[in-house]
Amino acid sequence: MPNVIKANALKLAYPRHEPVINSATFQVDTGEFVFVTGASGSGKSTLLKSMYGAMPLFGGELQVGGIDMSSISGSRLYKLRRHIGIVFQDYKLVKEWSVEKNVMLPLMIAGFPKDVCRAQAQKLLAHVKLSHKSDKYPLELSGGEQQRVAMARALAHNPFLILADEPTGNLDDYSSQMVWSLLERANSELETTVLVVTHHIPDMFNSKYRHLMIENGVLYEIH
Amino acid sequence: MRSIRHHLALILPLFSILFCIEYLLQFNRVIDSYETNLKENYTLVLVADKSLDPSDISHSDILISKVEPIDSKSVLRKIKGEMSSKSLDKIRAVMPAFMSIKLRRYADIERIERLKSRLLSIKGVRSVHVFEKVHNRLYVMLLFMKTSFIAFGTLTAVISLLLLMKQMTIWQFEHKERMQIMALFGAPVWLRSGALFKTALLDAFFAFIAVVATMLYLVNSSRVQELLRNIKIEPEILLKLNDFAVLAAASFAISFFSAAWVVIRFKEDQ
Repeated sequence: MPNVIKANALKLAYPRHEPVINSATFQVDTGEFVFVTGASGSGKSTLLKSMYGAMPLFGGELQVGGIDMSSISGSRLYKLRRHIGIVFQDYKLVKEWSVEKNVMLPLMIAGFPKDVCRAQAQKLLAHVKLSHKSDKYPLELSGGEQQRVAMARALAHNPFLILADEPTGNLDDYSSQMVWSLLERANSELETTVLVVTHHIPDMFNSKYRHLMIENGVLYEIH
Repeated sequence: MRSIRHHLALILPLFSILFCIEYLLQFNRVIDSYETNLKENYTLVLVADKSLDPSDISHSDILISKVEPIDSKSVLRKIKGEMSSKSLDKIRAVMPAFMSIKLRRYADIERIERLKSRLLSIKGVRSVHVFEKVHNRLYVMLLFMKTSFIAFGTLTAVISLLLLMKQMTIWQFEHKERMQIMALFGAPVWLRSGALFKTALLDAFFAFIAVVATMLYLVNSSRVQELLRNIKIEPEILLKLNDFAVLAAASFAISFFSAAWVVIRFKEDQ
């Protein structure tokens, strides 16, 4: 699977609105780490949504993991999502579940036995230094801790692609550092393809990774 | 506490609906049983110039189940007194024939009037006498109570259904976020709606148990038993195994469709 993401003249628009993305042509290969930047409302998150099938295409072509996203729905879409790890700015943790159960979610969906899910969740919580909070509920955690749980969840099932939407948008320096480090490790050690949407690339990553930018509905390659 | 309130929000409307269903089933049985009693005690006496063929009378109306001639000797014995045998012979010579008519089922006054006019149209029939007035008044009262209960029960069921729908809307909000997150990670429908169905079916079970317990209590209460005996109905007819099956099916079906409604209406946010 050389091209994990392949977009050609991609157009995205919300119903009864002008297109947010007018033209996006790019490819992301296996094991790449890519940043997508742009001003607020430029369509960065919309582009990301289209990659996990939460946003229908308005025109052009988009393939994720070799699957055509223009007509995907139902069980095919859910099957694809089971191999993608998503990190959201607002964490999207299930409030009524414990931290451990939240991390177990992708593994439960994949059908692993409960004890396997639990062991893997504990391993990942240790990575994000939250083992001692595995029985807590998301609302008992700080924003930084919640995002670390979300990171653990995104990595739990060894996805081939991680999509992160402003993953450090609301975090303090310590938690931001940890999130970036986890994303880098997943990319370098597991060869997981990572695509991060952010309005600002941290200084330490300047020029280190590929950078795409959206401006006026058009996607440009910066470097 | 919050969890108990959430369960009660479904259990209580379900309980009301099931209670209405069960009460209606029992009421129907009480009336059926009362009709049987009435039918057995109900007698029509036909007076004719001479003895008629019972099958001719039977065929005149579908309501008639049995026609039996009343022995004239037994009538004469009752009026005999100090009368001489000569006088009795004279009476016997002019005495009409009496026939007792039994009905297949209990019929209302209108139907009985139709039956009477059919019988009177048979050649030789002088008159038809019906002995039913007291029964009929009670029966009419029971029918009135049944109609009132159907109206009241329907209203209760409609209000309960509205409450159920309101609860479904609350469920939709409560479960939406979790279902949304699970859908983002590719959970199939059965997995992301599992908790919802589990709650619904558990509540259905509790509502069913609550109705059965309430019914058992009522049926075994001495006041209800006494009331039924007063109108010559065996209290045992209130308890039927079939009812439990009907109630369980209704309870689980209502809960299942309520949960399914929430699942069907689930849409992913864009």
